[in-house]
Amino acid sequence: MTVSRRVFVKAGGLALFSLGLDPLFLARAAYAANRPTVQPSNRPTLVCLFQRGAVDGLNMIVPHGEPAYYQERPRIAIPASDVVDVDGHFGLHPSLAPLKELWVNKSLAAIHAVGSPDATRSHFDAQDYMETGTPGVKRTADGWVNRYCQHDREHADTPFRAVGFGPQLPRILAGSAPSLAIDDLQAFGLRAPQDATRDRLTRAFEELYDGAGTGLLATSSREGFEAVQLLKRANPTQYVPASGAEYPPGRLGKTLLQIAQLIKADVGLEIAFADCSGWDTHVNQGSSEGQLSARLRELGLALAAFNKDLGERMSNIVVLTMSEFGRTIRENGNSGTDHGHATAMLALGGPVNGGRVLGRWPGLGVEQRFEGRDVAVTTDFRDLFGEILARHLGAIDLGAVFPGYVPDPARFLGAIRA
Amino acid sequence: MLSIVAAIGVLTAQAPGLAPGPSLTPRDSAFHALNRLAYGARPGEADSVAHVGVMRWIEQQLDANHIPDARLAARERNFKILDYDRADLAGRYRDAVRERQRMQREVGDSFPLSNRRGGQGVRSAPMREFRELGGELQQLALVRAALSERQLREVMVDFWTNHFNVFVGKGADRFLVPSYIEETIRPRALGRFEDLLIATARSPAMLFYLDNAQSVAPGSSRRFGRNEMPQERRRRQPTGINENYARELLELHTLGVDGGYTQQDVIEVTRIFTGWSIERPERGAGFVFHDWAHDRGTKHVFGMTFHDDGKDEGIRLLKFLAMQQATMHHVSAKLCARFVADEPPDGCIDAAVAAWQKSRGDIRAVLRAIFTSPDFWAPQAVRAKVKTPFEFVVSAVRAAGVEPDDTPRLAQMVARLGEPLYQQPAPTGYAETEAHWVNSGALLARMNAAMVIAKECSSIPTIDDHAQLVDQIDQLLMAGTMSAHTKTVILEQLTDTGDPQQAKTLAVGLALGGPDFQKQ
Repeated sequence: MTVSRRVFVKAGGLALFSLGLDPLFLARAAYAANRPTVQPSNRPTLVCLFQRGAVDGLNMIVPHGEPAYYQERPRIAIPASDVVDVDGHFGLHPSLAPLKELWVNKSLAAIHAVGSPDATRSHFDAQDYMETGTPGVKRTADGWVNRYCQHDREHADTPFRAVGFGPQLPRILAGSAPSLAIDDLQAFGLRAPQDATRDRLTRAFEELYDGAGTGLLATSSREGFEAVQLLKRANPTQYVPASGAEYPPGRLGKTLLQIAQLIKADVGLEIAFADCSGWDTHVNQGSSEGQLSARLRELGLALAAFNKDLGERMSNIVVLTMSEFGRTIRENGNSGTDHGHATAMLALGGPVNGGRVLGRWPGLGVEQRFEGRDVAVTTDFRDLFGEILARHLGAIDLGAVFPGYVPDPARFLGAIRA
Repeated sequence: MLSIVAAIGVLTAQAPGLAPGPSLTPRDSAFHALNRLAYGARPGEADSVAHVGVMRWIEQQLDANHIPDARLAARERNFKILDYDRADLAGRYRDAVRERQRMQREVGDSFPLSNRRGGQGVRSAPMREFRELGGELQQLALVRAALSERQLREVMVDFWTNHFNVFVGKGADRFLVPSYIEETIRPRALGRFEDLLIATARSPAMLFYLDNAQSVAPGSSRRFGRNEMPQERRRRQPTGINENYARELLELHTLGVDGGYTQQDVIEVTRIFTGWSIERPERGAGFVFHDWAHDRGTKHVFGMTFHDDGKDEGIRLLKFLAMQQATMHHVSAKLCARFVADEPPDGCIDAAVAAWQKSRGDIRAVLRAIFTSPDFWAPQAVRAKVKTPFEFVVSAVRAAGVEPDDTPRLAQMVARLGEPLYQQPAPTGYAETEAHWVNSGALLARMNAAMVIAKECSSIPTIDDHAQLVDQIDQLLMAGTMSAHTKTVILEQLTDTGDPQQAKTLAVGLALGGPDFQKQ
């Protein structure tokens, strides 16, 4: 089946080439032709949460066994008595207590001392590098998630394969493979005051674009209307989270609820991406309570609700948090922390080799630090992202996803169960 | 140059069909020119341009300063941001940041912290005001594009702003970008490339965005004033060269990625630009050359030698780059991708390069060569390009006779379609090609935008007869180019719509959101 489709695409492609149509259109046409009609409900899914602003990894996953941690942070360190200990050396911030259960059942892992090989302390540059997947190279036009979609077409393709939750398509999803930005699932598609008007308008535009013949306008509009239809069947307005899961109020909870809806709608979601902001804690960061604590509480409650809501389906889902860099080991004069280097990330889900802190811990001693002040990076973020792409989603060609990087499974941390 | 103008004037007067291809009617030629040199046609404009003669109209557009633009000038007066200079904005930004920090210190955890993208910042009044100015900046671009009679100049402002892209969200660029647009780009959009290149190189916005402001010769150190505190001395003292600007200068602004330069060239160019920096915000954040940071050693690049000539080294290099074959080809190809086709034919590029060479980089001469090239008027170039989100919104507003207001409403619409103005983080700027802009989510968003604009349409009268209504829309919004299929579908949709006002809104929305109007 797949083979014959490919031959068709190839032959069709040659025919179109002779008409002088551009190859990018052919690429999109090929995506469309590869799409099977039935979506398997057990396809693996990756959910990425970007903690924009640089989360303080040291107060998120606390190295309470390190005396230096307490020496450098007299006002903002988490007292050992408050830390949710996980292995005698590390522990979760008390606000992440709702996740303790997931740690114990080994579906939650932390990765410490992870980050970029590039030394920049600019949010702008570091976020860019983490999204393009090319640290140090500013000109990369597309994001690594999009490049994964470009190169791994073995997977079924649907308009909902890669979705960014927010008003605009994030850099990580930008590129030639189709991807969607959805600000509000319920408002996706054409907007009209009544359902009947909306359906009519949708049909009208569908007919208009049916006449657009071939080309990207025709292909893309067809994908769009197909997405509207798929979603209509899924009926997002009637959604009730399973098992009494309660998402916390606020944008993050709402977004994770929508991602859960989309996963359960079986529309072929493979990678979801969402922002989660407010981590740039230069002033009054707080300790067990305070600003960072409030943000972590929302994160912990949202992840726990997501896990509960998806239940059995978590066996095929990985949620990964990421942040552009970490923060200084020493607290600053405003009871906050400044821009640092390595940070910590969380991986949650059935496929995760959980219940442990992964990655080599460099220590906080002065000589162990990066530039004498920050947590050193011992895991290149591409080694972590690459492992998840390869072992969870089945990516074949990591070299194409991360140009300039030589993938080596020997460097994988074992974040995904074998 | 006068003789060229005269010659074209004579040509159009005597044989209006000569420059436009023989297959285009004068009205179609005018509509094509309005789609490319302008942000689309206002109702009836294709006819008026055809009446003047399309080549004469193009000459008028090239001579933008002689086109009266009083209506826009009146509207511009509503924009507060034009009253503030760089120093004012720097001060306001500083106040806003201080106020936010003060509130954070006082209120602690009840406020979420702000960050770069989409964060809910602390809502202090100075920060809210500063953000509103950012919205004004975007909306001003939209109002100018929609209302200016100097359409080609507005198109070129957009082209150069994108070619010399600066991201407004990076640190100091939040307050440096407005003067970059007003003082660096706009006055030179139809001038000489060399002047534009030098102006961008000296602009605080670019110096900050591509990090040249902190590129210093290794081992150099600043002499500090007597009243500067030691703490301030340590703060952000740069320690070496930063290649970022030099690399993008060669790769994006001038020679192009295949321009035949090496990593060593990038380093030499970086050394030449050491010391090109920005004054502190308190002093106005203007351009400054720091002698102490400049690499006084000998640099060899592109067969030239530079030695201890301070700021003039960079000027000499920029003048050289502006006239290189690779630069002329790279920038001409980009102009042709904008005006002719996503993959422009060689003919128009070669014509543009020849004009560049002959005119020593006069942008108007280069544009004239493109607009008189057969490739520009070839049938396969007509309606061959998909509008960018900005072009789509502005052309819909112009066609529908919507008066853009001073709120950032329409600018937000452009952002939702994927092209938030001044907010492209990568130095490449936004892409020009169809593949970049057309995807399923973006198309649905365009249809919704079209329905919103249709509700305010003032250019189409309310007509009971549906066939007449659709014909009016075809004539006034699309200069008679609506496809038979589009007409049929719209008519079908109107069959059970009794209310003529509703019928008009639906028909205009379908026309603006349909496939024909996405093209130019």
